[in-house]
Amino acid sequence: MEPIEGTSVPEPSTSGPHNPLNRRSALRLFGAAAAAVPIGGLAAACSSSSGGNTSSSAAGNTAASSTAGGATGSSAAGGSASAGGSSSAGASGGAGGSSSGGGSSPAPEDVSGTLVMAYLGDATQQKAFQALFDEFNKTYPKVQVKATGIAAGDWGTFASTISTQIAGGKVFDIVDVATEGQLLMSSKGVLEPLDDFIARDKAVVDDYYNDIDPHLKEWSAKYGSPDGKTYFIPGGYNTVCMYCNTDVFSQAGVDLPADTWSWDDFFAAGQQIKDKTGAFMLGIGYGFPFVDIMPWLLTNGASTLDADWKNPTLGTPEAVAAATFVKKMLDAGLSPKPGGAFDAASQYQKGKLATLGGGRWPTLDIRRLKMVDKTQIVPWPMQTKPGSPAGWDGWPIMKASQNKEAAWAFLKWIMSPDASKFYAQVGGTNVPARNSVASSSVFTDDAPKGTENLMKAITYATPIPSPARGTEVQNVITKAWQAAILGTSSVQQAFDNADSQLKPLL
Amino acid sequence: MTIAVHTAGPVGAAPLGSRPPGRRRTAVAGWLFLSPALLLFLVFVLGPFLAAIALSLFSWDMLTPAHFTGLDNFGKLLRDPLVYKALGNTFIFAFASVVTHLIGGFLLALGVNSLRNRVLSYFVRTSLFFPFVISWAAVALLWKYVLDPTFGIFTYYLGKIGITSPAWFIDPHWALPAIIGIDFWHTIGFTFVIMLAGLQTVPRQLIEAARSDGANSRQVLWNVTLPMMSPTIFFAAVITFIGAFQIFDPIQIITPDGGPDNSTISIVMYLYRQGFNAFQVGYASAVSLLVFAVMMIVTLLQFWGSRRWVHQA
Repeated sequence: MEPIEGTSVPEPSTSGPHNPLNRRSALRLFGAAAAAVPIGGLAAACSSSSGGNTSSSAAGNTAASSTAGGATGSSAAGGSASAGGSSSAGASGGAGGSSSGGGSSPAPEDVSGTLVMAYLGDATQQKAFQALFDEFNKTYPKVQVKATGIAAGDWGTFASTISTQIAGGKVFDIVDVATEGQLLMSSKGVLEPLDDFIARDKAVVDDYYNDIDPHLKEWSAKYGSPDGKTYFIPGGYNTVCMYCNTDVFSQAGVDLPADTWSWDDFFAAGQQIKDKTGAFMLGIGYGFPFVDIMPWLLTNGASTLDADWKNPTLGTPEAVAAATFVKKMLDAGLSPKPGGAFDAASQYQKGKLATLGGGRWPTLDIRRLKMVDKTQIVPWPMQTKPGSPAGWDGWPIMKASQNKEAAWAFLKWIMSPDASKFYAQVGGTNVPARNSVASSSVFTDDAPKGTENLMKAITYATPIPSPARGTEVQNVITKAWQAAILGTSSVQQAFDNADSQLKPLL
Repeated sequence: MTIAVHTAGPVGAAPLGSRPPGRRRTAVAGWLFLSPALLLFLVFVLGPFLAAIALSLFSWDMLTPAHFTGLDNFGKLLRDPLVYKALGNTFIFAFASVVTHLIGGFLLALGVNSLRNRVLSYFVRTSLFFPFVISWAAVALLWKYVLDPTFGIFTYYLGKIGITSPAWFIDPHWALPAIIGIDFWHTIGFTFVIMLAGLQTVPRQLIEAARSDGANSRQVLWNVTLPMMSPTIFFAAVITFIGAFQIFDPIQIITPDGGPDNSTISIVMYLYRQGFNAFQVGYASAVSLLVFAVMMIVTLLQFWGSRRWVHQA
C-alpha cells in the first residue's frame, strides 16, 4: 500500500531516506531505498466520502443511534435522550439539533462522553491535531477526546498498528484513514454506515459537499465502499505538483513554466541546470509511489491499475514509456543515484537540488527552511496530459464505537468551515477539502507562489490505486519500478512480470 | 536425599498437602522464587509459541473473525517461491556470518591476546567491541551514508583509487554482500570477546609443554589451542547462527522492500511482511514455525556434529 497520502503527517523521506522530511515516504518504505526525493510530509488528504446516501430518514436516524449502541438520539426516532448522555452508552442525545433526516441531532452541549480516536502523525502533527481537538472542545465541551497519534512512517505500519490494537481489544470511535486504507477497512466490516447520520444532518453535509470538489464525493463512493453504503466523510486531500527552487532556475537561466511544461522541457531544463550550476534536477526514487511513480505514469495517460482497481496496467506502452523516461533522467545524472542517504530537503535549501515533488506537506518543510520566497509550485511536467495522483483523508465511525453520537458530532464539526480553516492555520499537511478555504488566504498565506496549483490538480487527478491488498500491491509495483529505472531488467520485462504478480492480488 | 527433595519441590513432584509443613513452606518458597522467570517464560515464550501453532491453522486478518483452514497455510508455504528465496538468502547470510565471525573473531582474539602493552590491549578490545553497543538502526543509517552511491565516503575514496563504487544497496549482486559486511562490522566485537575469553582459558602448562617438546607456533595453535578452544568455538558457532538466522533490523532499514529482486529479503522479514503488511497472520504463524523448525534442526545438527570435533573436558 502506498504511503499515506492522506493523512496529514509529515513524511519521512519519501522515498526514503533521502529525505528526512517526509514521513510518508518512509513508507514508502521505509525508505526505501530509494533515494529519492520528495520530501514528504504528510500526506494527505482527506477523504472523500461517499456520498451518497443521504437518503435516510428518521428511521434511519434511529437505526444509527441504536447500532451505535446507545446513541440516543433524537426525538423523531423516538426518544429523546437526555442531554449529556453518557459516553459509554453511546452518545447522548438529546435536545438540540436539527435535522432533516428525521431525527434530530443533539445540541453540542448535550453531547458528552469520551471519544477515542487514532490518526497518523508524528510529534509535529500531533500538535496540530491536538490544537484541532481543543478547538472541537470549544464547541463540544462535554466530549473528552482521547486521541492517539501514531507516528508510523507509512500507511502500512499505521494500519498494522491499528489492526493489532483492535485485535487486542482496543475500541476506537474514529480512525483517520487515508485513501490507501479505506477500501481495506470498509471491506472488513469494521465501519459503521454513516447514511443515517448524513440523512439526519443533511443540511450540514450538503453544505459541505457543495463546497468540495465533486470528485471527492464520487471517489469515496466508488473506492471507499464495497456495498454502496457511506463509510467515510472526506477530509483534506493531497495531489502532487513540483516545488521549484527559483534561485537555481534563475542561476541556470531557465525560465519556470508559466502553466504547463513537457517532459522534454523538464529534461532540457535539468541538463541546463546541471551544466550551469551542478545541481541535480530532482531526486528519483521508487519507494514512494505517490510521488516517485504515479505522477510520471499519469502524465502519460498510464497508471498501475485500471480505473476499477481490478486489473494491472503496468505493461502498457504508456507506462513503459514513463519508466523509460525516468531511467533516461537517471542515466543522464539529473538525479543522485537511489539507494543512499541523499537528503533532498537540505540539498534543496543549499541549491544543490532544483525541484521537489510533493503535495501540501513539503510546504511545512519549505517554511522551516525559510525557502517560501524562493520556491514556486508548478504542475508536474506532462507528456500527453496533465496528471497527478490524489489521496484524501477519510473519517469513519468504527462499528465497535461505544459513543457514535459523539463520533458523528466530531465528523460534523470537521466538515465545518471553521474547522477547515483552523486546521489549515495550524499547519495541516493537506489541501483543505473545502474549496472556499483552499482558495483563501488561510491556506495560501506563507506558502510558495503557485500553491493554488495543488487545488487545481484535484480537477484532473486520479485516485491513488488502493485495493484491499494494497501493501502487497505496492511492494510489487515499487520493485518493478526499481528494476526498470535501475536497469536490472528491461522496463517491459519488469512491468510484464509485475502485471503477472499483481493479477492474483486484485 | 534432602537436597533431592528440595530441588524437586518446586517442580511439584508430590501434592503439597501431603508434605510436612516445613517442606511445604520450602516448596512454596521455591515456587515463589521460580515464579518471575516462569511467568515471563509462559507469557513471552511458551504462550506465543502455542498461539503460533494454533494460529497457523487459521486464516486471520486481525480485523475479522478467524477461519479454521487446517493445514492450508503449510501447503501454501511449500508452494510459495518467495519462501524459498527468503530461506536461501537467510542461509547465505547465516553461513557467511558464522564463517566470517568465527575466523575473524578468532584471529582478532589471537592478535589481541598477544599484545604485551596493556593499554593498547584495552584500547583495541574496546574499539572492537564498541560497534556492538550501537543500535542496529543507527548502524544501518550510518552505513547508508558511508556507502551512498553518490555522496558516500567509501564511494569517494574508491573513486580516488580508480575504482567505480557499485550501487551497493540497489545492485542485486552487491546488496546482500554489503549487508553481510555491515553485520560483520557491527557484531564481530561480540564474537571476538567470546573468543578472547576462551583463548585465555587454554592452560598455559599445555602450551609450555608442547613448546618444550619442540612444537612451533603453528603446531601449538593447531594441536593445543584450537582443540582446547573448540567448546568456545562451538558455542560461538551456535549462537552466531541463531542470531544470523533471525536477521531483520538492518535489512528492514537499509533495504526495506527486500532489496532489488528480493536479493536481501530474509525469512524473518518475510514473516513480518506477511503478518503486518499483508495481514495474513495465520500464514505468518506458519512461517514462524518453519523458522523455528529450521533453527532447531540446524542446531541439533551442530550438536550432533560437535561430538566429532569439540574437545570434551
